Amino acid sequence: MGVAFVAHCLLNQNSKVREGAHCAGVYSPIVDVLRAKGWRVEQMPCPELAFAGLNRFWAVREQYDTVAFRRHCQRLAAAVAGAIAARAEQGEDIVLVGVEGSPSMGVTITSSDPDRGGRPDWPEGTPEHTGGEGIFVEELHAELERRGIAFRVAGETHALATHDVATERARLESVLDDGDG
Amino acid sequence: MGDERSWRVALVADRYVNPAPGGLDGLAVLAAAGWGVMQLPDDAYRAEVARLLLAEVAEQVEEFSRHGYLFILVGERAGLGEALARVGVAVPPRAVPASAGELSEFLAAQPDPPALAAAEEPTRVRGALPGRRWFPDR
Repeated sequence: MGVAFVAHCLLNQNSKVREGAHCAGVYSPIVDVLRAKGWRVEQMPCPELAFAGLNRFWAVREQYDTVAFRRHCQRLAAAVAGAIAARAEQGEDIVLVGVEGSPSMGVTITSSDPDRGGRPDWPEGTPEHTGGEGIFVEELHAELERRGIAFRVAGETHALATHDVATERARLESVLDDGDG
Repeated sequence: MGDERSWRVALVADRYVNPAPGGLDGLAVLAAAGWGVMQLPDDAYRAEVARLLLAEVAEQVEEFSRHGYLFILVGERAGLGEALARVGVAVPPRAVPASAGELSEFLAAQPDPPALAAAEEPTRVRGALPGRRWFPDR
């Protein structure tokens, strides 16, 4: 057991980009697994919300990869890392639960399209997912590495074409159980 | 693609998100009622850690508030009022429920989110001042 630092939107779907909220408020499939396994839940800030606002467009990683957004993410990462460090000092296992496919919160899959820009109009299903971390996760990863804090990652997978709640749940359970040995 | 957001957000003390044995599971009640949750820092955190986290919470509340989302506070957190004041937002209506029933009653007593109420006013023009009617030119 330990502490799961979860993406903001997993407790508050109101923070999602327009047309992105999968439920009214709390995304229960992830939260239920964490609680059933006896993990503490701690919510991270949404990197896109306070920076680009609620009326932001859907975006890929390259559109957020600016000095200003990275500086914003570094500030958030410093705040979150302080909390993570406090838990790690108590000997707690740490898991980051991100949002796969997100330009900022992806933990193993982010979104990429170097040519995207201008009028926000692109066909449904445009291939954009690629391996890698979102920008905030990348900055938090660097901050935790700097502090010598180990962590594991899991992700909510709604944005992926392969999304399946049972698989998402099984992957999370597997990540949570990894530290039990 | 649909969007299922509720336009309702609760600022929630940590003890209702991670309840002690026998404590009120506020997160479950809020989830069942369709409220989004913004978790407040655990009281156990050092003041500096909590201050940084509260500052981020406040900035996000300010963004939600400007867009007509409804806010409430469940529980309390030292420093929240100051953090919200720094971004020009008042502390929302608050309850410190002792039971799931009390929390449910508090949630049920809340008005519609301003954004949804505004959407039902056919003559309202986006950007008009609250309480002032402005009819567009025909």
